[in-house]
Amino acid sequence: MPLVIQIQTGNSPLTAQTATVKLAGSLDTATAPQLETQLATLLAGPVKELVFDLAQLTFISSAGLRVIAGARKRLRERDGLASFIHLQPQIQEVFDIIASLPGIAIFKDANELDQYLAARQRAHQQGT
Amino acid sequence: MRMELQATPQEVMRAVEALQEFGRAEKVPDRILHGLALALEECGCNIVTHALGNDSRKKFRVAVERQTSRILIELRDRGPEFDLTGFRRPATPAADDDLCGGWGIQIVRRYTDTIRYRREGDENVLLLIKHLE
Repeated sequence: MPLVIQIQTGNSPLTAQTATVKLAGSLDTATAPQLETQLATLLAGPVKELVFDLAQLTFISSAGLRVIAGARKRLRERDGLASFIHLQPQIQEVFDIIASLPGIAIFKDANELDQYLAARQRAHQQGT
Repeated sequence: MRMELQATPQEVMRAVEALQEFGRAEKVPDRILHGLALALEECGCNIVTHALGNDSRKKFRVAVERQTSRILIELRDRGPEFDLTGFRRPATPAADDDLCGGWGIQIVRRYTDTIRYRREGDENVLLLIKHLE
């Protein structure tokens, strides 16, 4: 089964730090390198916050998780964040199995993510 | 269902798709079938990457069979001896670039009821069993 990747980034200097990666299909041993390549290009830029929208993702294996973990590692190095929305039950279950991956935030939907990011921004501003 | 596959990720997924087709024909519940597909993908990935070194000239075999109320998946490769069933999760979390091995095995354990390994001549033989009831 193929993997379809759609990446959206903002145009202004501020919004360019956030990107949404929509995945559809299967993120597996055969398709994970496609995502790895696209994320490498994306993370060569100023992106600090990466939102994975997994509404249309039907299959994910450890090969796909490895790519996501690699992106998370690069984001963490620049004080960034990887977050996930719209996980289907079978995808959520795999995330639960590897729940010990620290630094990954999972949200029910975009509203919940927005609330989290706003709180995170407030905390950051208060800390500076 | 029996297949001989080249040691490539694409061939692993060809086996996964064949398993899904087999399972649908056998009316295996979707949730169980998804777990078996994931377990096969992880084991196939392990064989291609670690046992056969991503050498597409090398081959491995997959057989899937239904026995009344259980599904059996057998994988055979001629790589170095490796007993997956003896693998223990590292005390510390796996490195970000080593998830395919460590975390993959956790996933296989989660979605199967029995994992048996034996060395038969120069072959690794891995048997996965999942009960349908």
